[in-house]
Amino acid sequence: MRVNPNPANDILAAIQQTQATEQTALQELSSGKRVNAPSDDPAAAANEMRNQASESRIDQYLQSVSSMQSQLQTADSTLNSMVTTLNQAVSLGVEATNGTLSPSNLQQIQEQIQGIIGTAVQLANTSYQGSYLFAGTETNQQPFTQGASGVTYNGNDGVNSVAIADGRNLQSNLPGSQLFQQSGSDVFGSLQQLSDALQSGDQNAISTATSAISSALNYLSGQRVFYGNALSQLNDDQTNLNQETVNLKAQDNALVGADTTQVATDLSTAETAHEAALAAAAKILPQSLLNYLPTN
Amino acid sequence: MLLAANALLVQQGALEATSNNIANSNTPGYSREVPILTEATPAVEGNVAYGRGVQLQQIASVRDQLLQFRLYGETQQQNNADTQVNYLTQIENQFSSTTSGLGPDITAFFNSLNQLSTDPTSMSQRQGVLAAGNNLASDFQGTAAQLATIKQGMNQNVVQDVNQINTLTSEIAKLNTQVSSFQNMGQDPGATEDQRDQLITQLSQLTQISAIQTSEGLTITTGNGTALVVANKSYDLQATPDATGAQQIYASGQNITGEITGGQLGGLITVRDQFLPTVQSSLDNLASGLATNFNAAQTQGFDLSGNAGQAFFNTTSGAGAAANFSVAITDPSLIAASSDGSVGSNGNIVNLLGVQNQALSSGQTPLDTYSGIVFSVGSATAQAQAASQASTLGVQQVTDQISSVSGVSLDEETSNLIRFQQAFAAAARVITTIDQLTQTVMTMTSGS
Repeated sequence: MRVNPNPANDILAAIQQTQATEQTALQELSSGKRVNAPSDDPAAAANEMRNQASESRIDQYLQSVSSMQSQLQTADSTLNSMVTTLNQAVSLGVEATNGTLSPSNLQQIQEQIQGIIGTAVQLANTSYQGSYLFAGTETNQQPFTQGASGVTYNGNDGVNSVAIADGRNLQSNLPGSQLFQQSGSDVFGSLQQLSDALQSGDQNAISTATSAISSALNYLSGQRVFYGNALSQLNDDQTNLNQETVNLKAQDNALVGADTTQVATDLSTAETAHEAALAAAAKILPQSLLNYLPTN
Repeated sequence: MLLAANALLVQQGALEATSNNIANSNTPGYSREVPILTEATPAVEGNVAYGRGVQLQQIASVRDQLLQFRLYGETQQQNNADTQVNYLTQIENQFSSTTSGLGPDITAFFNSLNQLSTDPTSMSQRQGVLAAGNNLASDFQGTAAQLATIKQGMNQNVVQDVNQINTLTSEIAKLNTQVSSFQNMGQDPGATEDQRDQLITQLSQLTQISAIQTSEGLTITTGNGTALVVANKSYDLQATPDATGAQQIYASGQNITGEITGGQLGGLITVRDQFLPTVQSSLDNLASGLATNFNAAQTQGFDLSGNAGQAFFNTTSGAGAAANFSVAITDPSLIAASSDGSVGSNGNIVNLLGVQNQALSSGQTPLDTYSGIVFSVGSATAQAQAASQASTLGVQQVTDQISSVSGVSLDEETSNLIRFQQAFAAAARVITTIDQLTQTVMTMTSGS
């Protein structure tokens, strides 16, 4: 049987094959990825796409959480100031029930209470990055205005929620009406009540008004729990999201990452095979009967 | 003496065949020639038969037609697979990045809405949503445009391939006549047949062919029976664009596009008519579904002015939805974040975000639909790559077999050179000897 007298093409094909294997190993080593195009592993590529989307979504959640933390901390510290202010009002009220005060003293206290009302209105109108914190969802206008008939609420009772993880939402605000004008625990109402009582000089009225301010204060402190809880939830959420990011990155690696040790070995094997193919070609190609015939 | 002189000529003829082989040892498609030497009919005188020397019957090419036919089959498979790999890889490039492009930008768009939910009246965050929407639109438009460009490239190649086929078939037809006239005279067609077979191999790169030997030469048809070459006549194919601009292939007025399999042309048509449309329609459905669902979620809410939300995206349905996908608004206050008309409400953003998880007509969410496209493109490309590797091996094997039959072995030719040269020298020696004998006789009879 006659054999193929021209092995050159086959030898070349073998050399090209070993070269291609070398190049693949080199690409994996330099990119660190086993899957550099969907055709390298279609299922892994599709899953990696979803993985990347999850990572991106989690990055956004972390950003939103951070925004919410600032917002809620501002609200909470405002309420803290409000509590301090109301405590001042209660002290003044108690002082005024001391029967020894003169009408002009009472008038001074009343002026101070008016000042406190102004401060309280200012606090209730706190805004954060251009939006009013205690206006419900009418956040583009001042929620509390002071008029002849007292303090009016211009906001609504809307509440917003923000998604802080897949399937998890967090309520992000309490309306000003709920915080400061709840019936039975009305901050502005009770302050005005004290002011009026001081005006009249009626000790009983002063005492009643002071109790009303106390109960509004207690109620407000209770409401602050909402903000404390929310901030603590956000902290937990951050921890969970960061952990999930770590998990997803590990999955990334499992899906498309190259096993560097394995690839380095593959590259070394491919290089050896390539050199062997070249050496074999060098030996075989020049062989011919003509090398052995005498030249004459 | 004439016998020896004749022998000289015969050995010389054999040497010529050998030298032709050596000269053509690297010519592609060359079949080695073998001098057929036969004994001349002996002359019988009484009881004695005198040999009459050697005859050079013919110089025959050594070839195996069956192997040649197999080569045509393997060649078309390899070219088919290679063409598919070429175009599928181009398509795959549109979907291969995990950090940029359509997939990541779908997520980025919804992320911008999540950001907005923390501060719904913020104009800069609303601008962010518009910007993300515009990125998404340019991704859809860009991908659709690239796929259309790839299709255009394929159409141009269809025309080129059809022209090439027509050139080849007319050349083959001319050679066909020459080859069969040699064969009919009992002569070896030699180089002419080599040339014709080379052209047929080139033809089989372009499309699958069937070849049948008849008394008038080879009849060559396409895989499904459309005549290309019959005897000395060739039959042209025409490429004519249809209403969508896709080049269709006609033979004698009949549209045979769907029946062309194999070779470059078959590979082109498979990708252009079977695979690319599925990708384009998945993309279009993704675009129109996403836009429709998002627009519906917009109408459930209110914009910054307290008006009911309007359409955010422009889209069309069916083919071209991706190319026509764009953002319909430029005023960021028109994003319908509010659920009750109040300015600071983000209650409708949950509906806008919900579109991420809403099933499209594909039955899957937008992102899953996209990753499905990535998967199907990757699989098709991987399959074509495997077919390409396998068929390359197939071609190599047949080529090796043909070479073992018809290939020139320099070692063999070198040793033939020596043989025929020696025989030539020996025959010349015979002539010299006979000449000397004649001289002796002449001297003998002429006296001293």
